[in-house]
Order: sequence, then C-alpha cells, then structure tokens
Amino acid sequence: MSTVVFRTTTRVVVPIILLVSVALFLQGHNAPGGGFIGGVLTVTAFALLYMAYGMAFVETEVFDRSDEPAEDHIYGGIVVYYRLLFACGLALALLSGLVPMLLDPLGFDLPFMSQNYLVYHDVPLYGEMEIASALAFDLGVYCVVVGGLLTVLSVVGSE
Amino acid sequence: MQLTFETVAALVALPFLAAAATPLVFRVLGERTSYYAAAVAAVCFALVAGQYGNHGVASMAWVPAYDVSLAFYVDGLALLVGLLASGVGVLVFVYSGGYMHGEPAQSKYYATLLAFMGSMLGVAFAADLVALFVFWELTSVCSFVLIGHYTGQASSRYAARKSMLITVGGGLFMLAGFLLLADATGTFSLAALLEHPAETHAALTEAGLLVPVVGLVGIGAAAKSAQWPLHIWLPNAMEAPTPVSAFLHSATMVKAGVYLLGRVRPFLVGTEWELAFVALGLVTMTVAAMLAVGATDIKELLAYSTASHLGLIVAGFGFASHYGAETGAFHILNHAAFKAALFLVAGIIAHEAGTRKIDELGGLARDLPITAAVTAVAALGMAGVPPFNGFYSKEFLFEAAYDAAHTMGGVWWLAPAIAVFGSVFTFLYSIRFLMLFFGEKPDGLGDVHRPPLAMLVPPVLLALLAGAIGLGGITGALDVPLAPVENFVGEVVTAVSGHGGEEAFHYYVPTHVTPALAMSGLTIALGLAAYTVYDRLHALVNALTTGPARANWWYDGAVDGVTALSEAVTPRIANGLLRTYATWALGGAAVLTLAAYLSAGVSLPAFTGIALDTPLVVVSVVAAGAAAAVLLADSHVAGVLTLSILGFMVAIVYIVASAPDLALTQLVVETLTLVIFLMVLDKLPSWYGGTERFRSIRDAGLSVLVGATVTVTVLLATAGGRPDGGLQPAELGRRALEEGGGHNVVNVILVDLRGFDTLGEISVVSMAALSVVTLIAMRERVGGEA
Repeated sequence: MSTVVFRTTTRVVVPIILLVSVALFLQGHNAPGGGFIGGVLTVTAFALLYMAYGMAFVETEVFDRSDEPAEDHIYGGIVVYYRLLFACGLALALLSGLVPMLLDPLGFDLPFMSQNYLVYHDVPLYGEMEIASALAFDLGVYCVVVGGLLTVLSVVGSE
Repeated sequence: MQLTFETVAALVALPFLAAAATPLVFRVLGERTSYYAAAVAAVCFALVAGQYGNHGVASMAWVPAYDVSLAFYVDGLALLVGLLASGVGVLVFVYSGGYMHGEPAQSKYYATLLAFMGSMLGVAFAADLVALFVFWELTSVCSFVLIGHYTGQASSRYAARKSMLITVGGGLFMLAGFLLLADATGTFSLAALLEHPAETHAALTEAGLLVPVVGLVGIGAAAKSAQWPLHIWLPNAMEAPTPVSAFLHSATMVKAGVYLLGRVRPFLVGTEWELAFVALGLVTMTVAAMLAVGATDIKELLAYSTASHLGLIVAGFGFASHYGAETGAFHILNHAAFKAALFLVAGIIAHEAGTRKIDELGGLARDLPITAAVTAVAALGMAGVPPFNGFYSKEFLFEAAYDAAHTMGGVWWLAPAIAVFGSVFTFLYSIRFLMLFFGEKPDGLGDVHRPPLAMLVPPVLLALLAGAIGLGGITGALDVPLAPVENFVGEVVTAVSGHGGEEAFHYYVPTHVTPALAMSGLTIALGLAAYTVYDRLHALVNALTTGPARANWWYDGAVDGVTALSEAVTPRIANGLLRTYATWALGGAAVLTLAAYLSAGVSLPAFTGIALDTPLVVVSVVAAGAAAAVLLADSHVAGVLTLSILGFMVAIVYIVASAPDLALTQLVVETLTLVIFLMVLDKLPSWYGGTERFRSIRDAGLSVLVGATVTVTVLLATAGGRPDGGLQPAELGRRALEEGGGHNVVNVILVDLRGFDTLGEISVVSMAALSVVTLIAMRERVGGEA
C-alpha cells in the first residue's frame, strides 16, 4: 500500500486536508461545516498518514517523540494524548455549558448551556467579525471527535 | 425545626458525600474512620429528629419545563424509618470500630455502609414512586457489596448473588406495580396519592388494577422483607460482618419492605389486601420461627427470627383494623431495638468466644455479665414475655387477629390460631438464645474475653431503649404513660392508617383478662411445656426440611437450570464470528421493529406518486448500478470501492435536496470509512473464495428483511409530518439567526438550540472510544486470547 506514489500524494494532500478541516470548523457558524465535520476530516488526514508511513513514523517524526518506543499503544505512546484530547473536549463542552450558570450571582438568570454572540465591526482585514459563545462548545465537539476517533483508529490499527 | 427542602435534601445527601470522601478520610484516620462515620450518622440523626412533628412535602423544581421536581415527604412513618436508619447507624458505626479491628477492606466497608444509610434515608423520605424505586434498589446494591465483603470466600459470593437476585428481582416487580399505579391514577407523586387515599383506591378499582398492584407491590415488599418463600436470602446474608447483619438485615434494610406496605397501605387496603398480607405474614411468621428452632448457628437463628418478626409486622399491616396499624407501627420500633441488640450480642459472642455454634456455647453469663443482662432484656422482649417491649406489639397482633376472626368469622378463626402457634416457636428460640448464657459451660469452650467498650456500649443503649419501652407499659397501666414513645408511635399509626385524623396510641400491661391476654398466656404456657423437648423439636424441624420441602432447593435448581440454558444458547449466538453477531443483531432488531409496527397497528401512507426530476434519476441509476456491482465484485477492494460509490451518490442526493451540511458530513464520513476500509483490507487476504449456497440465501433474506424494515420506518417516520411542538423550518431559521447569531441553521441547532443533544452525542463518542481501549486492554491482559 505504501508505494512512492501514495506517499508523495499523502505528503501533498495532508496539509491541505488539515487546513480545510480547520476552515470548515471555523466557518461552521455561518456556512456548511462545524466541529463534527472538521473533526472527521482531520482524522482522515491522520488515517492517510498512518497508511502511508505507519504509526511509528507519525509518532517519531510528526510529533517528535523519538525517545519513547511505541510498543504499547494503549497505555503508552501517542494514544495517551488522543485520550487526553477527547477527555478535555468533553470537559470543555460541559464547562462551556456551565459558564452561564456561574454568571448567576451577577444577576443573569441563565439556564445550563445558554449561548450568546457578539458582533465586532471594523476589524482589520475581516471587516465585520462575529464571535459566538457556541464556538467553545463546538471546539469541544471537534476535540472529542478527533480524540475519540484517533484513539479507536490507533488502538485498533496497532493490533 | 421548619420543614424545608434544604434540610431534608441535606440529610439524604450527607451520607453519600461522606461515603465519597471515605477513602481519603481512611487514609488519614485509619481504623478510627468508624468515629467519622458515626459522627456523620449522628448529624443525620439530629437532622431527622429535628423534623419531628412535621408533616408534608418539601420539593424543589428540577426540570420545570417537564414538571419534574425533586420532592421529599415527611410524616410519622418516614421519621420512624429515618430515625432507625440514622440512630442504629450511629451505634453500628461505633461498634464496627471494635468489631472490624484488623479486618480487610475497611475503607470499602465504611463507604458502602454510609452509602447504604443515605439510600435508606432516601427510601424513607422519597415523595415520588420513581425516587423510591431508585433508592430502594440502591439499598439492594449496597447490601450486595456488604454481604460479599469477604470477596475471597465462595459462600460470601453465593450469598451476595442470592440476595441481589431476590431483592433486585423483587424490586422490578415493585416497579411494574408502580407503573400500573401511575397509569391508573396519572401521577407518580406519593404525596398526591396519599392525600386522597379513597379516590386513589376507587381509581384503581375502576381500572381493574387493584389486585395486580397489590400483588406486584407485595412481591417487591416480600422479597425485601424476606417473606416466605423469598426468605431464603436472609440466612445466607449472615455471611456479612455482624455489624452489617445488625444494621441492614435486622434493623433497617429488611424494614424497607414493611415500610413500603405501611406507605401504600392507606390507599391499597381492602379485602384483597387483608387476605393477601395476613396470610403471607402469618405463614412467614410461623414457618420462619420453626426454621429458627432448627438453626444450629446463632446468627442463623437470629436471621430466621428476623424473617419471622417481619412476618408479624406484615400480618399487622395486613389487618385492616385499627389494631393492625398499631401492631405494624409499634413492632417496627420494638423489633429494631431488641433484634439489633441481639445481633450485636451475637457479634460479641462470635468475637470473644470464637464460635457461633449453639451446641458449643453455654454458661456465658459468668464471663459476660453485662452482655447477659442485655440479652435477657432483648430476648424476653423477642419472646413476648410481659412486661418486655415485644409483649405489647404481640398483644396488638393477637387483638387484631381475634378482632378479624370475631367480625368475619369462618376461615378467619385460623388467624388467631396460627398466630399463637407461630408465637410458641418464637418463645422457644428466644429462650434457647437466652440459655446460651446460663447452665454449664461446655468443656470445648476456651477463654471468653470481655468485649471492648466500643462493642459493649451500643447493645447496652439498645437494650435500655427496649427496656424503657417495656417499663412504659407498666407505668401506662398506672396512668403515667411514656409520652414520647406513645406520641411517636401515634404519628406512625396516623401515617399508615390514612384516615386523615390524628390517631391516639396507648399501650399498657393489661389490667383485666382479654382474649389477647389469654392468647399470650397460652403461648407462654405451651412454650414452657415445649421447651422441655426442644432438642427433639430441633431434630424434627431439620428432618422435615430436606429436598423439595426447602425453598433453597427450588432456588438452586432454578439458578442452575438458567445457567445451563444460557451456556447452551451462548455458543449459537455469540460464537466469536462477526458474521453471526451481525446476523442476530440485525435480524433481531428488524423483527422486533416490524413486530412493534404490527402490534401498534400502523398503516403505511398511501402512495401518491413521486416527482421525477432528472438529477435524482441519474443519481439513483448510478447508485443502483454501484449496488449491483458490489454483489459482483470479485475482491474486497473492488467491493469496498463500489460500495463507496453508493455512499457518494447519497451525498449527491443531499446536495440535490439542498442540504449542504448533510452532504458535507456524508462526504467526509464516507471518505474516512473508505480510508479505514482500505487500511484494514491491506492486511487481509484479497478474497476468501466461494461461499455456500445456504449462507448466501440466508444473507440475502436478512438483507431484504433489514432493507424492508428501514424502508417502512422511513415511510412511517416521514408520513406523520412534523411532531407536535416542532418548529417550522422558517421559524427555525429565524431563531437561529436571532438567538444564535448564525446563518448556518444546522450548526446553530447542533451547538446552540439543541446543544444538550449534541453533548449527549459527544459523550457517546467518548464512551465508545473508551470501550474500545478497555476491550483491547482486557484482551491483552488475559494473554492475547481472541
């Protein structure tokens, strides 16, 4: 499977996929995209890397962790970080929902997971820019999808 | 103290929080954790006692949109069980400090015991049938953990499993009863049901559900309170450390069943109720008392005796008369006092004498004088000898039985007869237990040490309580009643009779001859006469209870049968081949779904023709072609590639239907699956070769079945239009822009309007990833076995 053609293509395509996935994630609020789609696309990029170069390469070269041998893919190696990623994502999503409730003492009577948004005008380069509080929640979704799927992929893939 | 939601919620929540903190506390305090737990129990006790005299509901809106609230109900009965759970809790925790010295897994022990206390307080104060059920099952789970405390012993594990199967199984019957009850009356709120008991009763009778509800709730209560023939788990439960037996299996958890009967009694009591529970209670009382006479181990004797006394309480609540309510209410208190004391005494004996065999014990009074005095008060109370506390509640039972026989006549004359017959055996084993302390000390019995103070104080306090209640009867006869006890029991009687009015309660040593007094006298006379042939009765009971005459024979047979059945079936359904799992899972889901449609009698929407536009036709043709190519593909890679054509066509359908978000998702997911497929296929042989004809036909049939199910489901789901309360697309778009500030309606729905759903979904993704990690880690642990 890891032919020269495939490797070369992967090398070119992976950065583009990653860029597109981040773009999809960020534009999700107003155009097709969002945390889930962006997350799945990111995982696709990693899957291509795994196929073309193998897990060890991703571990040593991409993440520069050459000092640790990737013998155990469940308790050690890069999977630990994937697991941390989805755990943090879930925590982020949950916390972003709790924030409105923490504002209670300030006189806001907001239930769990209320969202709001701000629109900034005259931002350099962008012109008008909108920041929605839902972005934090969506980032949580993105992290969970990336972390969760990559965990499954690496653990099963290493079998 | 004012009845506030915060107080009741605090007293229920405190033990759980304390249980969560126990491992940390244990690290600091070590074996002194018992005092920490006792302090928690004491705070709970104070909070419960502070509620004395209160009546009513304390609630807090939880999910106001769905009219769900968290509510607690406070009345005499709830306070009685609450005081028992926390009060006996204090004593048991102090006692544990001495008893559990040097035992393994103490952190787990105290944490579970605290959690149990919280669950029991929850059962007592729950104002909602669902909450009651949840706390009820929590007590069963805690009991399971505590009975199986010595995890290394097979007998502990057997006992724990048995109690779990019976009490949790009974709880499920109770849940079914609750669902019927809620169906007939339209509410899950206990407080609402208790407010209008007559209306509730009428509504149940009208719906024809009275008998099923009484039966199902009765099974739940009988399983928990160890009523015949479900009593068999209780003697095994004695595998638990003795403080646990004293706490859970005599004073509190087994009282949950009779508590439930007292709770639902106001709106369920009637002819059917009376017949069912008087019979159940009296049979249990008699059978268990006879089995107690056949016991060879002191804890076994006390276990059967507990079942017997619970039978007495059940029978008491069974009688519809005023005496019945008084019997049950008073005996819950009396039994908790003398039985918990006796269990703690049994713990002292086992600890200090080193044996629990009745034959090997005797003459303990010389070494354990204080314990002997405690036992005398408690055992004579248990025997029903005046003026000890058990005598008065038994008098009420005799009165209730005589009253029922007198008014209804006929077969009801059996009730007083059985009551006396069973009480004779109660008298016998009570005296036998007491005689452990007198007579000759057997030669085999070595040195008996004095128990530590922590183990002595709790039983002494319980015996003082029992003795005080007993003395209250004497002073009551002299017109100086023991007011606190009388008022308190009066509150309980008010709660279980449900007439609405305050019930006065008085008890005293009879000053003139009544039928009940005659029955007590007869019991004691027969008991004294039969005690001379105790050993022959003991042998007779054991000779009679062999083979199918033992409830255990049926239980073991059933469990073995079910185990053999599942061992026979498992290899057919789960044989390790993915193909087999898929066949059963998909086929099962399809058949169940179709059966549900059939039984619901749904009809498919009429076919109104479809609008054919060119792009859709083209896409469909390509998709159909790809599907056909999948079947003809001669290698895995070709099959997967053609299958993904189908997936991409679906994405194009979404584009045509102007759903760019769905299309994008479909494209991305399809790409990822394709990549993963190729990654896996790289490692597999390119083709397995031909397949058997039978298997092909079976798979084809399954595919058609699943396809048909999905088609029918889609047709039905889209036929009804939007469900009630759903927003119109235009409205959704407006809200997305105004409230969420986003132009992408789908995304705003996902992260904002219905963000809660998404939170659930990402939790599922995380759990799936964790399960994969866990499964593979487990596989490696057992040595690479597939």
